[in-house]
Amino acid sequence: MAKKLYIFGIGGTGARVIKALTMLLASGCKLAKDFDTVVPILIDPDTANGDLNRTKDILRLYQEIRNQVKEPDGFFRQEIKTINELANNSSDISPEYFQFKLDGTDNSTFEQYIGFDSLSEDFLHSKDDKNFIRLLYSTQNLKSELKVGFKGNPNMGAIVLNQFINSEDFKKFGQTFNSEDAIFTVNSIFGGTGAAGFPLLLKNFRGNENLPRHAQIKNAPIGGITYLPYYTLNKKDEINAESFEEKAKIALDYYNRTIIDQKRINALYFIGNKGSTNVEEYAVGGPEQKNKAHFLELAGALAVFDFCENINAYSCSNGQAIIDTQIKEFGIERDSDSISFDDLNISNSEQIAFPLSKFKLYTDYLNKGLGKAMNVSRWTKSNIKLVGESQNSVLNESYFNSDRYKNQINKFNNHFDDWIDEMAKNKPAFNPFNDTNWDTALELVKNRKPKRKGVFPYFEKSFMTLDTENCNLISQIEIRTTKEQGHTALIKLFGQTTERVLKKHRLFK
Amino acid sequence: MKNIFAPIYETWFSIYEPNYRLLFDTLYNGNGYIYLGLSFIIIPLICWYLFYYTWKFPYGNFLHWLLWMLIAVVIVFASTWSIANSEIFASNNQKLIEALNDPETGYKEYATSLPTMYGSINSLMALLLGFIFALFMKRYSKVQTHLPF
Repeated sequence: MAKKLYIFGIGGTGARVIKALTMLLASGCKLAKDFDTVVPILIDPDTANGDLNRTKDILRLYQEIRNQVKEPDGFFRQEIKTINELANNSSDISPEYFQFKLDGTDNSTFEQYIGFDSLSEDFLHSKDDKNFIRLLYSTQNLKSELKVGFKGNPNMGAIVLNQFINSEDFKKFGQTFNSEDAIFTVNSIFGGTGAAGFPLLLKNFRGNENLPRHAQIKNAPIGGITYLPYYTLNKKDEINAESFEEKAKIALDYYNRTIIDQKRINALYFIGNKGSTNVEEYAVGGPEQKNKAHFLELAGALAVFDFCENINAYSCSNGQAIIDTQIKEFGIERDSDSISFDDLNISNSEQIAFPLSKFKLYTDYLNKGLGKAMNVSRWTKSNIKLVGESQNSVLNESYFNSDRYKNQINKFNNHFDDWIDEMAKNKPAFNPFNDTNWDTALELVKNRKPKRKGVFPYFEKSFMTLDTENCNLISQIEIRTTKEQGHTALIKLFGQTTERVLKKHRLFK
Repeated sequence: MKNIFAPIYETWFSIYEPNYRLLFDTLYNGNGYIYLGLSFIIIPLICWYLFYYTWKFPYGNFLHWLLWMLIAVVIVFASTWSIANSEIFASNNQKLIEALNDPETGYKEYATSLPTMYGSINSLMALLLGFIFALFMKRYSKVQTHLPF
């Protein structure tokens, strides 16, 4: 039976970490211990949020591409599914299926949502009164529009998010949960949605008896990553970045008492950036909230792999972890403003350097190298005479001009390149790749020089080596495919050829 | 083998002149025809083997293929000319040596034209055989399978 990992990404940070995870999965990273399916679930009332929608689009593209690849074994090998697919046994792909819907948040203010107007002003004779609410929420809170989220106010988030546990989506999650499955949550501690949503979710996983398959969920291995402040904002307004650290301390104390001491979670990862050197454009939510990708989000995605790797150590009884909650923190080997693969610890570097370099070489090639090979190299030709059908490639000009290439492969690759570029421009920068051109394509990994010297050393570090390997492998039986399965050929071909080229040139072992 | 190659030159291409029989007997008896014949087979074979199986240039096009053909033909012509010249003028057939040295026989004048004639014939053969080799070898080539078409 398929073993699934449900990943709940709460708020903008949750969405960005799931984006980073998706990029790692696309590049060929895979969860350990036989987890064959990842089920990402995004929770955010701010449906127009730029980060959220970008992640949803990336997840949709991942699925669309992967579903067209026959037995993927390199890039895109990890299966990603939505709750909808699992519950309805359907193969419909929609970005909306990745997000849990929150009813009543689209066009209402917080005071409308809680029925503030129906409360009495008479605190002496009324059971529920407005003054009590005013103790807990400022006028700004009450007038706040929910469609842009909770603007860093977890006290609002805790109320609104409480309703989604009764939603159809949450019930479907319960219905699809099997005994071998596990749960991972991602949230930030210094905002509104994530800080409120995480304890609430955990409470329901461990204690909501109305949830279908509650017996399994209650004792399932649960891990989570909580983000301490790692960025600041360029403006003070409704959201004040100066309060991030204070809010984080208060929330940490709360988590300590109610989650860690109570062993409600098996493993809790903490990550943050001292000094918050990264400054983001101020936005209260909506499409304007589209933060640049940050190295810490990539590091957070690594926590998911670590959790799965150690899953056998995590067991629960009666809704509590049998051993104390494992607290883990992320660190790098060398502190640097511009982090490269060599600055990571060996294990992290081995985990991501090779797959990311392969995928980067693949996207770089399609951007800068394909033009020279198109209709010239045999791997792009489908009209070769006097040879078997298998010698003709499906990856011809018409494939690369097709809508499915442009709207799926190309768009996903653009997201990947944006992700890499944004991390390189952030603080601290994660900048493991050099800018390359056609001639210097294999000098892409910082601090690593291609070592192979052929007859013509000039060409040995160019895209020519990749084109040669493409020609060598295009007719291989596992790459050959029908016209309709062009993605299979492309993904499998480059999965193998990028690996060969990087290893042949001793960039990786 | 010389019984295979000799008719190619003497019958197919009619390079046989009974008045200069000594020349053709020398080529026949001294394995000259074998060397000439093998040169239009082996040289194109090696050239096209190199082209299809060892030349890993992924941007090869029809002009590259034509250039390769030209190179193969030129090598065949040069080799053939050299072989024929050597087989005739460096022969140890005493009668032929005497005939070549006697201006009245006309042997030397006729013999001098032979290397070019054999070179031309072998070039033509190399062209034809090279094309056939190419069509066969391209089927099993990984990088140049699309050439010549």
